[in-house]
Amino acid sequence: MSAKTITNVEAFNAAPEDYQTAVRKIVRSHAVNELYGAQVFDEPAIALAPTPYAKWLTCRVAMEEYGHHVRFRELGRQIGLSEDEMTPKGRRPLSIFEFPLKTWEEFCVIKLLADLAEIIQVEDLNHCSFQPLRNLARVTMPEEKFHAQFGKDFCTELCRTAEGRAKVQDAINRYFPLMPPFFGRSDSANNALFRKWGIKQNNNDDMRADFIARARALVEDHLHLKLPEVREAA
Amino acid sequence: MNGLDAAIEAFVAEIARGAWFAACGEPLTDSEDVDARLLAGALGFAGTGLARVADWREAAQQTQRPDWSRAWWQAEAAAEAALKTAAIARFGEAALLEELSRVMLAAAALNGAAALALARAHVADEALARVAAGAAAQACHQAALARAADAGTGHAFAAKFRLFAGGRWPLGVVGGRLFVF
Repeated sequence: MSAKTITNVEAFNAAPEDYQTAVRKIVRSHAVNELYGAQVFDEPAIALAPTPYAKWLTCRVAMEEYGHHVRFRELGRQIGLSEDEMTPKGRRPLSIFEFPLKTWEEFCVIKLLADLAEIIQVEDLNHCSFQPLRNLARVTMPEEKFHAQFGKDFCTELCRTAEGRAKVQDAINRYFPLMPPFFGRSDSANNALFRKWGIKQNNNDDMRADFIARARALVEDHLHLKLPEVREAA
Repeated sequence: MNGLDAAIEAFVAEIARGAWFAACGEPLTDSEDVDARLLAGALGFAGTGLARVADWREAAQQTQRPDWSRAWWQAEAAAEAALKTAAIARFGEAALLEELSRVMLAAAALNGAAALALARAHVADEALARVAAGAAAQACHQAALARAADAGTGHAFAAKFRLFAGGRWPLGVVGGRLFVF
């Protein structure tokens, strides 16, 4: 049944235990990280935003990120995850969440690059064999794309001054090296399982390479800044 | 159902019935003029002149002017903090946050109302729709806090919510005047 589509929760409940475990891991990861992102970056950024326009836009972005958490949490409930498993309590966060946000420039860079990483993760679910998760990925994608565009637009605006360029470059230097590990280890047993069941399509290294290439295009070709060198495998 | 549940359930229904962004650009009615002055006065800006905003492009410009009032934003933040303290004293923090989450989920739908209003004005601007929706959601959050704290209909955030739900977008004080779209 490796590529068979599981169309609903009832069929999911009848699927092999390995398959169920693999889907739960992905749903739990998205539910936790969307909530972390909203709490650690988006909500604090409202106070840092430079104008009412930027504050209200950030407010909306925070709501959308929280909304993603709610959607993944709802699917998680349906497939047997508990509430506690889908909140940051007791879950080790991604390393990026351990660096508290201090400036508006940092937030814009996080939207530019961390949301690009999220887009690549969600794109990989667009053909997922578990249809409710595939649908969730597809409905989430336009908002994730908007958030990355938000980062691109504000970084572009900031880079119009020398001071702004320096601050954006500094934020890229500090945050970007934390991001490639988001994609997991090269020899990840989880990723092999995800691909075996058609839940995900690409291996971690391919997604990481895609992320670095797209990040380089944004940072170097569009913003004319420098992307720090990072290892392409983990 | 406790008192907070009932109050928030009624409030969520009010959000759904609102005429969000439907009157933007039109002249203020007498009651809207009263609410705009009440909003300004209750936040410490009594006597601030009101200014109309003609269209969505101007609204976008006014919200990005460098001379926007930080004091206005801080006054709203201080009022929010005071209401939150009072509401927690009445119902406890966990219950309050749960109810505020319900309000936020209800307010998430306001992006659709903003996008529709922009489309009717022949303005294609996905970001501006989100800015408007973010402002409206903030107003819902603030008004929900006012209800939870039993602050009454004369509170600044009650007046602000009435303006929004009546189809307006109060943009705040910019250049010494309160702009209402």
